[in-house]
Amino acid sequence: MNEDRPTVADLPTVADLPTVADDQTAARVDRPARRAPTGAAGSFQPRIVGFLCNWCSYAGADLAGTSRTPYAASVRVIRVMCSARIDPTFVLKALAEGADGVLICGCHPGDCHYSEGNYKTMRRYPLLKRMLADLGIEDARVRLEWVSASEGQRFADLVDDMTQRLRALGPSRIKTALATDHAER
Amino acid sequence: MDQPRIGVYVCACGTNIAKVVDCDAVVRAAEGLPGVAVATTYKYMCSTPGQEMIVADIEEKKLDRVVVASCSPRMHELTFRKAVKKASMNQYYLQMANIREHCSWVHGDGVEATQKAIGLVRAAVKRVAFHEPLESRMVAMCPNTLVLGGGIAGLTAALELADAGYQVYLVEKADHLGGNLARVDLTAPHLDSARDLLRERIHRVMGHPHVEPFLGAEVQSLEGYVGNFTATVAVPGGNGAGPAAAEGDDGPTDGGGATRSPRTLEVGSVIVATGYREFDASRITHFGYGKLPNVITSFEFERMVREGRIETVEGRQPQYVAILHCVGSRSQEFHAYCSRVCCMTALKYAHELKSAVPGCYVSDVYIDMHAFGKGCEDFYRRSSEVKTLFLMYGKNDYPVIRKAEPGDDCGMLIEVSEQLSGELIEIPADLVILMVGMEAREDSAEVARLVGISQDKDGWFIESHPKLDPVATTTEGVFIAGTCAAPKDIPDSVAQARAAAARILGKIARGSIEVDAVFAEIDEEACSGCRICNELCPYSAIEYKADEKRSRVISALCKACGACVAACPSGAIRARHFTDEQIFAEIVGVLA
Ligand SMILES: Cc1cc2nc3c(=O)[nH]c(=O)nc-3n(C[C@H](O)[C@H](O)[C@H](O)COP(=O)(O)OP(=O)(O)OC[C@H]3O[C@@H](n4cnc5c(N)ncnc54)[C@H](O)[C@@H]3O)c2cc1C
Ligand code: SF4
Ligand code: SF4
Ligand code: FES
Repeated sequence: MNEDRPTVADLPTVADLPTVADDQTAARVDRPARRAPTGAAGSFQPRIVGFLCNWCSYAGADLAGTSRTPYAASVRVIRVMCSARIDPTFVLKALAEGADGVLICGCHPGDCHYSEGNYKTMRRYPLLKRMLADLGIEDARVRLEWVSASEGQRFADLVDDMTQRLRALGPSRIKTALATDHAER
Repeated sequence: MDQPRIGVYVCACGTNIAKVVDCDAVVRAAEGLPGVAVATTYKYMCSTPGQEMIVADIEEKKLDRVVVASCSPRMHELTFRKAVKKASMNQYYLQMANIREHCSWVHGDGVEATQKAIGLVRAAVKRVAFHEPLESRMVAMCPNTLVLGGGIAGLTAALELADAGYQVYLVEKADHLGGNLARVDLTAPHLDSARDLLRERIHRVMGHPHVEPFLGAEVQSLEGYVGNFTATVAVPGGNGAGPAAAEGDDGPTDGGGATRSPRTLEVGSVIVATGYREFDASRITHFGYGKLPNVITSFEFERMVREGRIETVEGRQPQYVAILHCVGSRSQEFHAYCSRVCCMTALKYAHELKSAVPGCYVSDVYIDMHAFGKGCEDFYRRSSEVKTLFLMYGKNDYPVIRKAEPGDDCGMLIEVSEQLSGELIEIPADLVILMVGMEAREDSAEVARLVGISQDKDGWFIESHPKLDPVATTTEGVFIAGTCAAPKDIPDSVAQARAAAARILGKIARGSIEVDAVFAEIDEEACSGCRICNELCPYSAIEYKADEKRSRVISALCKACGACVAACPSGAIRARHFTDEQIFAEIVGVLA
């Protein structure tokens, strides 16, 4: 990020631009080129929490946006500086709060902005997966993937793929199970 | 915690957001959230009136937190931080919800997109309640600059800074300065000599009191942050202004000599100007490069022109010369992008051939003629007048070059499926020049890692913003200039080099820079002294105080990755601005 990057505010009256032109541009470029799976029409739309590192993966997801690459509206992204910041409790919290899946994304090995953060993530991940398995949480619900700043398409594909898998798996029962558990005690 | 007073601003972004997301519905949903005092939507939040609206609300409605739901925080977080600062609010009381890049631009279904936008806004509102006021740190700006690469871009940037009176360390991997331009003869479209363009610059760089050039050298490591980097440079034995320092011949060579002990340099900024390499023409088998001896690359032709000998390997003057465009560029299999300089260079060759080899027939086999630069369309018109045969071939429908029969009056035949006539045309050639495109250098990934910047899918370095901030990168203090960012011609490379220098001069002029107040801190009460975090920190930013048996973060060294925070078994480390509470609030928010 750069502190002295020019902002639109430095330009004269952007807000006064004619809206007609916007409409036209929008109509021309904004139309998604392919159909992403939607949760409409009665089918189950899973809720995925995405934890993305700022430098590669979040930028990759931004690129999917600037390139207008459509994907399922199932994912909600939470930005962290590095994948190494992603505490296993974040994942557990998300599942406990009703997420059907958690997608963790970081820079490709070797490309971490902090040189080795993603190696730490990589080492921590199997431990997390083992713990989830012990808790009886299906494997497909939590996933770790590398997405670079240029891989907007890959991010979109990942979200779509995970969405399909979670749809096949059905809604997560973790939240309700926890609630019942709590009530019984 | 007292109930905060949060203002929520939902940007329509013209129609970029509003076309898909129902902004009024988002506002209504926000109004119902605890702590929200104001919620509104506006056409362009980042515009002056948009920002003024936030400032006025903070002052008049006594807001103490702001949420802007708009584009990516990577785009405008600093804009809005500046805005809230204007209203004397701590800039860290801002949170953004990305409802454009992550929502309206990628989701077609308005209902779903609106739902998601509401979720993202809810998360931001919940998170911002936990924000704390943080004071950014001011650090001194070291006025020295490290320039990587001594091509036209690196040379220009170095001189711009040195002429302003600041020290520049110019590190060039090859044993000579000049880069790829040193391999070019005349330059399009004005037909002035590349040698002349370079000679003066190289001369000045070598003798400049404020430039220290390192030839045959490489940067081994770069540590620190904007204003305060430390670089180590491996220099070969015979460093300095020896005879090798003049512009060299074809191709980079290893800097010979025994390696001396590395030099350590203190710099405040880095300019990466590492350039490009040419596409390897032998990868396209249809063209027979490497097999047919009279099929040559543009660089090989440049060398012929410089040596004043345009001839075939058999030593004869070619009667038929064919110039083939887009070799490796604009193709499905190789590079999708246009290399931007080959079309005009091809026209330059037509000129040179016509004057050097009277009576020779030149055919120019292209896909599209890209003559976008200043003076280039005129150059194209003039070239058409020198009787060049222009043939158009189709993208991914490569012409095929083969050896002619003994009876033919030419060495080779090229079969072109000509697009304008729709016919399969065969043209004779004694010499074929392949206009090889540019590609990212083989070591560009290493350079990217070294300085902490990203590459796009083709390997070019990524700028902070492709339109508004083309020479900065996402790593503050590291700039890119010239062809390492994408193919470009000399004028564009030079413009970027000067722009990068200007950005640095601006920082130097201010004398100090503000660095993010975001870093980790250890609660000494909670720390058990296990030292797990000590080893973990990639910047050795955590010291262990043996007498107290506690660890402590040296905030100036911490880059806020958060690795230690997630690893501390005692939960003793807090990542400022990315605390557990803040992230939990976000999780609850997106899922509520
Ligand atoms: C055949 C041909 C003809 C051309 N003709 C024209 C023309 O007529 N007109 C025109 O405007 N443009 C022309 N161009 C384009 C021109 O070559 C480029 O615009 C220009 O050379 C770009 O300069 P640069 O400094 O960005 O890169 P380069 O010239 O590639 O210089 C980069 C330098 O960085 C060094 N380097 C690389 N990696 C490192 C590292 N890790 N550490 C230290 N040093 C490193 C390299 O050794 C090199 O010296 C032509 C290009 C080609 C291919
Ligand atoms: S990991 Fe935690 S408990 Fe261990 S030394 Fe570091 S801060 Fe202290
Ligand atoms: S946040 Fe990262 S850089 Fe800062 S002390 Fe912890 S591990 Fe080191
Ligand atoms: S910054 Fe992306 S994984 Fe570390």
